[in-house]
Amino acid sequence: MKKIAIFVIKWVLVFLVASVLIFAAVRMMPSTPVDKWLDAYHLPHTQENVAYVQEKMGLDKPLVFQYTNWIINFFRGDWGVSLVSGEDIRERFMAKMPYSFSIGISGLLIGAFFAFFLGYRAALYRNGICDRLTTGMTIFCQSIPMFILSILMINAFGVKLNIVKFFTGDGRYSILAAILLTALYSVGALSRVVRSAFREEMGRSYVSFMVSRGFEPKKVLWKHAYKPPLASLISAVITRFAGVFGGSTVLEFAFAIPGLSTMLVSAMDSRDYTILQTYILVVVIWMFIVHLVLNLVLRLLGVRRQA
Amino acid sequence: MRKKIIIWGIFAFFVLLIFIIPHQNIKITDILNTFQGFSSEHWLGTDNLGRDVFALIITGGQRTLIVVFLASVISFTVGTFLGMIAACEGGIVKTIIQFVADFVTVIPSLIVALIFSALFGFSASMAGIIFGIGNMGQYINLAQQLTDGMKDRNFISAEISIGLKKRAVLFLHIFPNIMKQLLVYLGNNASSVVLQYAGLAFIGLGTDVTNPDWGTLLYQYRSYILTYPRLVIFPIVAVCMLALFFHFAFDDSRVKETELTIYD
Repeated sequence: MKKIAIFVIKWVLVFLVASVLIFAAVRMMPSTPVDKWLDAYHLPHTQENVAYVQEKMGLDKPLVFQYTNWIINFFRGDWGVSLVSGEDIRERFMAKMPYSFSIGISGLLIGAFFAFFLGYRAALYRNGICDRLTTGMTIFCQSIPMFILSILMINAFGVKLNIVKFFTGDGRYSILAAILLTALYSVGALSRVVRSAFREEMGRSYVSFMVSRGFEPKKVLWKHAYKPPLASLISAVITRFAGVFGGSTVLEFAFAIPGLSTMLVSAMDSRDYTILQTYILVVVIWMFIVHLVLNLVLRLLGVRRQA
Repeated sequence: MRKKIIIWGIFAFFVLLIFIIPHQNIKITDILNTFQGFSSEHWLGTDNLGRDVFALIITGGQRTLIVVFLASVISFTVGTFLGMIAACEGGIVKTIIQFVADFVTVIPSLIVALIFSALFGFSASMAGIIFGIGNMGQYINLAQQLTDGMKDRNFISAEISIGLKKRAVLFLHIFPNIMKQLLVYLGNNASSVVLQYAGLAFIGLGTDVTNPDWGTLLYQYRSYILTYPRLVIFPIVAVCMLALFFHFAFDDSRVKETELTIYD
């Protein structure tokens, strides 16, 4: 019970601190959305014009009022409207979220799935094919940025071989490619985590005992020692999720996928306060859900680990 | 050990070279001499604007090194310090430090860097500071776990019981023992900073295109990949070499005899 309370309090604090920080950060930047709006309509920056646009955007109210209003409305489901286009932000986010989240989730899950088997085999046969393969993949992913690989993929499949069209059509190939790249970049490091966890179990006395009683060593490991490695894998996946979110930004940019990050980039250009703020809130809530679900899975596995 | 010295020697040589070697002004364009091959005047040829590719790569290297240095120093010193303090003090201090660690781990640092560079302009030192703070969480957790593991050792109890100050024990006796593992992590982290910075420059929000970063160069040259592949290959090779160096320079993957199990 106490653990649940700490978990909730921690996340409420994360949410509050993140929201205050982004609220302050966007208001500290040198050029304001008011300037951008006036520029867009070629209006002079007279005091009257600025005052009028400020009132229209609701930026003339006291900061505390703006902040509380924003947070309360966010939880009521009214995420406000874009300062520039006047569109409903929630609709826009809902339309874009599936792209970004599906790339992150499916990429990481596919990666984790293969990582578990590769890690198992790598632990079983030290210096064997899988062991070398996973080491190689780890070094590969640590030295070649994802976006270079995506440029090369676009060139190889889209231009040279001309079998896939990345930038026309419904963009399903771009999403597929982004998912595969995310998976590829997760497999290496995750499989090393699984490997070292399996190797730790190998040294345990219960394993030696079962092996000495005549059970097949491979089966002992697979059937009886799978829980701690699985738990380590899930913990590693939890910490990787933030990175995957950043990584998908680069992928969305390279493959021109109309996801959250593409929207973020265009919102930065126009200094759209409300979209920037909401984006961070969505990221925090998304991270909260990920941590919640994966911690529940850890609990179900019955392995004691810190939350 | 010998191998490590050679790797570090080569690295030091290249760093020195990058910072002292004379090169052409990167802002000079020469429209008459675009896409030139290797020559004694332009060691790596010229690009689509007639700029000297060698000078661009060198300048990009300087900027990347600044970012990696700042990020590593900030996250290593601050993260390790906070982690050790948390393990040593416990109680409310530990709770606060753990919250900081969780907070910086949850928020993706690439996105924070993206937002800040769009809002306040893109600069190498700012990117370094943001990556440094963003990657701090892992160091805090690692240092805390390692210090916790050290606290119960006999030699530590002995030192406490003969009346050494807690702080002195922490920084003079525990720190050297946990430093090795932290440095392995530093190596992996430094190579990921190289990649993250390249990705940030590739997206290029708020970048000044006259400041060449390896990521920016890749973005600018990506359409010449078929006609002039060398323009793309040089930045790729530069990024890979630097990242690989950090991986191997701090790597410590030898298996000790005691770690062998019945399966071997």
